[in-house]
Amino acid sequence: MLYDIRLALEYDYDAPVHGGRHHIRVAPANVPGLQRVIASSLAIEPAPARQSGFLDFFGNSVTAITMTEPHDKLTIRLTARVQIEEFSPPADLSPPLAQLCREIGQYWSVASTSPQHFLAASSRVQMVPAITDYARAVAADAPTTLGVATALCMAIHRDFKYDPKATDVETRPAEAFELRKGVCQDFAHVMIAGLRGLGIPAGYVSGFLRTNPPEGQARLEGADAMHAWVRAWCGQHLGWVEFDPTNAMIAGPDHISIGHGRDYSDISPIVGVLRTHGSHETKQSVDVLRVE
Amino acid sequence: MSSRNQQTRGKPPAGPSIIADYRLLPGVPDEMIDPSGAIRPGWDKLMAAFDALGPSELAARVERADQYLRDAGVFYRKYDGAEGKERAWPLAHIPLLIDEADWVQISSGLTQRAELLEAIVADIYGNNTLVQEGLLPPELIAQNSEFLRPLVGIRPVSGHYLHFCAFELGRGPDGSWWVLGDRTQAPSGAGFALENRVATTRALSEIYASLNINRLAGFFRGFRDALFNQAQRDGGRVGILTPGQLNETYFEHAYIARYLGLMLLEGEDLVVEDGKVMVRTVAGLKPVSVLWRRLDASFADPLELRYDSHIGTPGMVEALRAGSISMINALGTGIMETRALAAFMPRLCKHLLGTGLELPEIATWWCGQGAEREFVLDNFDQLMIGPAFSTQLPFDDLRGTALGASMTAEQKAELKSRIANDGGAYVGQEPVRLSTAPVYVDGKLEPRPITLRVYAARTEEGWTIMPGGFARVGSTTDTTALAMQRGGQAADVWVLSSKPVEQVSLLPREGEKLVRNAPGNLPSRAADNLIWLGRYAERCEASVRILRAYNARLAELSKPDLPILTHCAALLETLDVDAAEAMPQGLLASIDSAVHSAGQIRDRFSPDGWLALTDLQKTAQRFAARIDTGDDATRAMTVLLRKLAGFSGLVHENMYRFAGWRFLELGRRLERAIQMARVTAWLSAPDAPDGSVEMLLEIGDSVMSHRRRYSVTAGALSAVDLLVLDPLNPRSVLFQLAELRDQIEALPGGIDDEQLSPAAKLALEIHTDLVIAEASDMTPVRLDRLADDVGMLSSLIAAAYFT
Repeated sequence: MLYDIRLALEYDYDAPVHGGRHHIRVAPANVPGLQRVIASSLAIEPAPARQSGFLDFFGNSVTAITMTEPHDKLTIRLTARVQIEEFSPPADLSPPLAQLCREIGQYWSVASTSPQHFLAASSRVQMVPAITDYARAVAADAPTTLGVATALCMAIHRDFKYDPKATDVETRPAEAFELRKGVCQDFAHVMIAGLRGLGIPAGYVSGFLRTNPPEGQARLEGADAMHAWVRAWCGQHLGWVEFDPTNAMIAGPDHISIGHGRDYSDISPIVGVLRTHGSHETKQSVDVLRVE
Repeated sequence: MSSRNQQTRGKPPAGPSIIADYRLLPGVPDEMIDPSGAIRPGWDKLMAAFDALGPSELAARVERADQYLRDAGVFYRKYDGAEGKERAWPLAHIPLLIDEADWVQISSGLTQRAELLEAIVADIYGNNTLVQEGLLPPELIAQNSEFLRPLVGIRPVSGHYLHFCAFELGRGPDGSWWVLGDRTQAPSGAGFALENRVATTRALSEIYASLNINRLAGFFRGFRDALFNQAQRDGGRVGILTPGQLNETYFEHAYIARYLGLMLLEGEDLVVEDGKVMVRTVAGLKPVSVLWRRLDASFADPLELRYDSHIGTPGMVEALRAGSISMINALGTGIMETRALAAFMPRLCKHLLGTGLELPEIATWWCGQGAEREFVLDNFDQLMIGPAFSTQLPFDDLRGTALGASMTAEQKAELKSRIANDGGAYVGQEPVRLSTAPVYVDGKLEPRPITLRVYAARTEEGWTIMPGGFARVGSTTDTTALAMQRGGQAADVWVLSSKPVEQVSLLPREGEKLVRNAPGNLPSRAADNLIWLGRYAERCEASVRILRAYNARLAELSKPDLPILTHCAALLETLDVDAAEAMPQGLLASIDSAVHSAGQIRDRFSPDGWLALTDLQKTAQRFAARIDTGDDATRAMTVLLRKLAGFSGLVHENMYRFAGWRFLELGRRLERAIQMARVTAWLSAPDAPDGSVEMLLEIGDSVMSHRRRYSVTAGALSAVDLLVLDPLNPRSVLFQLAELRDQIEALPGGIDDEQLSPAAKLALEIHTDLVIAEASDMTPVRLDRLADDVGMLSSLIAAAYFT
């Protein structure tokens, strides 16, 4: 399947900004066997004084920009074409949860792909006993690790209300859990906290969703903005599997990923340090259209 | 003649020795007395010297050491509750003596340990073979908040991760030294060790000279040379990166910067351009290539490390990736302080260095492993239990670590169940017992437990160990290491040598090239603080002079509603000073601001200047509590004026005439010009009440000059002439402008290709206008405009040098 992606991030500053540095993570990733980037380009306005790129620890591609001239608006536009390969949901070859620990224990590695990085609390996902209890309860009957993760994904979709007004980008998982409300970022963080609480390595995926559904299907929630979902490590055979708790599904051909990390802070679309006194307003628009 | 009088003359009588009362703790080894009860070498001479001094002289010596530390302004900031407080450095007055044989063993063991730590951390941020080969559990790295992922794969330019480490040691019951903890993040205390040495030798100078005690300067000299050589290779400057003056050891950062001649830098002084770290100085951006970091690594770069850090430099990690800066120590090395790593050190040492640890460390069991977890649960009562990922020394960890036996049944059950479920988060450690050493308490010696902090620095020739350090002295006689967490004191450490020691200082040796730091090393932030210090000091002086004139008249006339008094009170109001208060809050605030500005640039200040300023602050605060307006306040203002003059004099007479002094001077001149113009406008106005001109001359400290020059009664015109246009009166506005013009032209970029900078141009303009002006031109309106013009000059300087 071929998609054209258009993203615009606009920052309007109250007071002119005198220089700043930003790290941008918005371009779709090449994922061997799953996702292939045919073309991708980033346009930044006003033009940065310097621009460079590097790969971060988790292998995500980062664009670093430095602004030196005063400006009161910053616009980042991405246009990309991505090929998504045929996708079949994984067969459940995952071990029972009780055995997962032993399989993790065989990973004597701290390479970025090692599940060891995704077990402990991270800066945005604290361990919350109430979330662990919830995860344990909703997945009590699941015989395998994949089953546990699937059950938690479905339960969050069932029990939580999609409500962009209820939370913001700084909301902690414990608060979103308490409210049973939020957006994709909150659902992903709650699910990650639940999985880690049960001993399942879990990470955060940032990406896009197809905007218009195929004939006769409902439009997916969160398709008009950048999206986020979860990856869980389901044992040596299955490896990483991606779940979308916002839409109660395993991430599939409608999900186009940018990159991943332990939580939002590892893969946020833009991290910046500005020299300014005022606040700013952000606008975001996303279009993901199927070509052909 | 009474017998008492005879005793005080000549030598004191041979009374009982001071060690007669020294009672050892049963079963605890002591540093001074060996197990057979004999006094150890070196200590015997120290005790004999104490006895020769006699009790009252010894007490006086102890007081002399404390006095030195107070005078030098040695303090550290302690956080207990919401606000940090500055505390006097708690010196224990008796040095700890360590003999040569012990020292040889300690320095060899610590050299080995520093090499081991370097090899491990290089592997953690490099190839990670230790994890792959099963020698280090991956959890200890991957779940460690000190494992800084953005630094993985970045090789330090210097080739090394560690350059400066500290170690905490204790002597166990078997008499051998043990390693209690490693400090690799940003070890503190080396500067305090120096100050301890100075204070202790002040008190015990002849004793110090009579024993062969290793000097500390050579260690610092070697490390400084290594830093400068590295910087020279890379073509940039060397700085100490400090979190700023709220940090508990800021005093020490400023002290070391001054002692070693390094720039004292904060994150906001630095900017990364094209992958290079630059310091914002008054002469523009200058390259920096070595940073001795006293800031925890995760705060160093808000872009890639802690996003909420306000004390870092955006782009610092990028500069490290580009290989343009050496961090001392590399970012991420704090991971070596992780407590659970201790469990793996013996095995790692064998593997990496092919030999055992020379100095043993606290036996540690990490509960992330089955057998170890069982052992800890089975021996729970006998072990110290604490968090595996803690980087605090067990005895600094007030909340996290406790002896199993000391817990309630309920606490034990809860902790045991947590260890059973999440063992990886806990360690059990052998409870260490320490040796004792004598401390001086109320004229007597008492044994107290001690730990020893020793420093290692990497030089061109490899690791060197500071022959000294400081000893932490417990506040009670409890010798379990855990008891050290309850405060205590710090003692100097004297390492004895069997041979006479070489005298070393940091001054250049004969035949050595004199390295002089280039001008333009003044960071913009420091220059900004210097200007403001000058301005606040001068503003205080203006307020104090006016207040004195006001209160003197109030005392005399005792009618506050007389026109001259209300007119003067209104003038004070323009300075935010309320004349109704004897010691106005507005004046206290200006003094506080001056102290605050000075506090940010402690490294550029002589201790005497700082002392004069804080003395002024204390005096003013004391006055605030007890004086009244009128006579009282007049006298108080005279005292403050004298103290202000003392401060100005110390600075003026002693500060090197570099860019730093120039900015301080600019601040003073700017403020004096502004205040003089405004006060003259106010008091020379045609509608000013009777007595205004006399008051103006008094505030301008020019009563005598006026009498001499004009030999007429005070008229507004002659007063204006003297206080505004007289080029020889050091209080006149014209005099300030002449100084300002010269100083601004001498600043970096003041004259470029014979072109004047905007500030230099404006200073010249204002000055020229004044030179040709007549006293009759100087109406209040013109004087106010003059003050505004000088204010504009201040803004131009700020725009040129501080942004």
